Amino acid sequence: MILNPLPLSTSRTGGCTLTGALAVTTGIKDSVTIIHGPPGCAHHNFSLLHATILDNDCMVIPSVISSGMSEHDVIFGGEEALMKVIIEAASGDPGIIFVLSTCITETIGDDVLAVTQNAGVPVCLVPTGGFLGGDFEMGFCRALIAVSNLAYPVIRSREYNPESSGSVNLIGEKNLEYEVHENFVEIKRLVSLLDLTINLRFAHDITRSDIDRLPFASVNILREPALSAVGSHLQDAFSTPFVNSFPLGISGTISFIRDVATLSGSKPEKALGIEKKYQKEVLEEFSDLRGSRVKLKIPAGGPEYPLVKEIFHAIGILESHDGTVLPVPYPFPVGTGGMKRMLHLWRRALACRAV
Amino acid sequence: MKQIALYGKGGIGKSTTSANLSAALAEKGLDILQIGCDPKRDSTRMLMQGRFIPTVMDYVRAEGDADVRLEDIMFTGYKGVRCVEAGGPEPGVGCAGRGIIATFQILERLGALKGDIIVYDVLGDVVCGGFAMPMREGYAQEVYLVTSGELMSLYAANNICKAIKRLSLRAKNRCRLAGVICNSKNLEKEEELVLEFSRRINSRLIHFIPRDRTVQLAELHKKTVIEYAPGSPQAEVYRSLAGIVATNEQFTIPNPLDTDDLESLAFEYI
Repeated sequence: MILNPLPLSTSRTGGCTLTGALAVTTGIKDSVTIIHGPPGCAHHNFSLLHATILDNDCMVIPSVISSGMSEHDVIFGGEEALMKVIIEAASGDPGIIFVLSTCITETIGDDVLAVTQNAGVPVCLVPTGGFLGGDFEMGFCRALIAVSNLAYPVIRSREYNPESSGSVNLIGEKNLEYEVHENFVEIKRLVSLLDLTINLRFAHDITRSDIDRLPFASVNILREPALSAVGSHLQDAFSTPFVNSFPLGISGTISFIRDVATLSGSKPEKALGIEKKYQKEVLEEFSDLRGSRVKLKIPAGGPEYPLVKEIFHAIGILESHDGTVLPVPYPFPVGTGGMKRMLHLWRRALACRAV
Repeated sequence: MKQIALYGKGGIGKSTTSANLSAALAEKGLDILQIGCDPKRDSTRMLMQGRFIPTVMDYVRAEGDADVRLEDIMFTGYKGVRCVEAGGPEPGVGCAGRGIIATFQILERLGALKGDIIVYDVLGDVVCGGFAMPMREGYAQEVYLVTSGELMSLYAANNICKAIKRLSLRAKNRCRLAGVICNSKNLEKEEELVLEFSRRINSRLIHFIPRDRTVQLAELHKKTVIEYAPGSPQAEVYRSLAGIVATNEQFTIPNPLDTDDLESLAFEYI
């Protein structure tokens, strides 16, 4: 038995393991992802991807195909159907083929690994039978780890020398969330204060050959702490240390700069000076919100609460039971740039109330 | 129309019993359909002069199920007994239980489920929902347990009682335990043990089938006992069983034993 804990709620991070893995594999633009299962598993997930991709103003639709399992394949085994669709996918000469399993193929016990190993073309398997107790998050992590393993041969090559890097990787950007681009720009700005560049967005808008750059970075920056297992895996595999989250909040952004500096061997003083000054300017820009009476609808014990309270304190916003309800975006805005966008949102909310 | 199912541990003699029962019922002039619900497909072999008939799943595997006709999957054997084998996937792949479900749907669609008596010969271990299919609404309402006096055989029979009991809780389900058939392994106090087991699970021993060399000889000649040695005492035993089954109207909801009770029962009859 596989005793993964079942998700306690149907929150955004819960849900289908398959969707989580797709959020990664479809970030590799010259790949084909095969969903080994009934057509509905592919259709449902593809619709979701399609909608989100369009929402992020991206018009390139990823290649996702289904092995189209029928009752016939359930009874006699779906391995042949999978092999057929792998051969079909390989004929288009993709950079890499991903195979994602589904609940039904895991139930009837298709030996998906053996099929992928005998395919004769490079295939990367991500087991994603959701009924085994996995969720979106697990599919996402598993896919990142599976894809990262493609870069293993690189560290054995002669050119491999991570010491000279001066760059960072972004690990597990959530391709299905809003503001993916804005968050990327913010991290790029923050690390540039330390004279670091972005080596690889893993996995966002990259190709199969880009994955080989994964080991060449001084620091891996994880999108969020839930990806710690991925961070640890990459540390074991490529000896790259990691920061476990994009920066959140005023002091969080400052400590982020400090952590990245420490791990990359940079000197943080100049960067910290610049960022603190910038934060002060942003907060000053919203000084008109000082004295506003507001109300929060986020749980007091939640991780966002202290981040919001910190901003209230810095500006002088007051919490009151009859105050204006302030929207707090989910996921929480990244860095000082994200805070600035949220403050604009708050200003609009307060202005509406005033009218 | 009566629909009966024979369940029991693998190797206990379900297929031999089923085939001889069908042959004996057919001798009485009844229209019989026997359906083998086991991927190993040998339920009807003795009714077909040793022939392994093509299974429903063989046909579906090769041709799909869209154009399947009754004559592709149903074959007439001894005394007009209509024989069907569900079959299934190759060992070790796919889902045999789903294959049983698909077979039933095809038989239903083709209108094959008719006659005086349908005999379902089912894999002993009800490993998943598919193998409980013959006990579901609209199919067998009378389940016979085939067992010897061996503990493992009684254990399997007891497990099937659990399935029947659970199904009987459903509003429309009319599947009941119709009795226990003891297929003897020539053990000491075997009949007494199975008799007592039957009583404790709230059923009755409807027939004791003695161990007889005629059964093996008939099998070697690829025939049922009824056909191979019609005048033998063993053929009479099967005829007697057929008489009881054809007229049986005593059906119960079984009361399965827990494992400790089952084991201590077996101890009493060492």
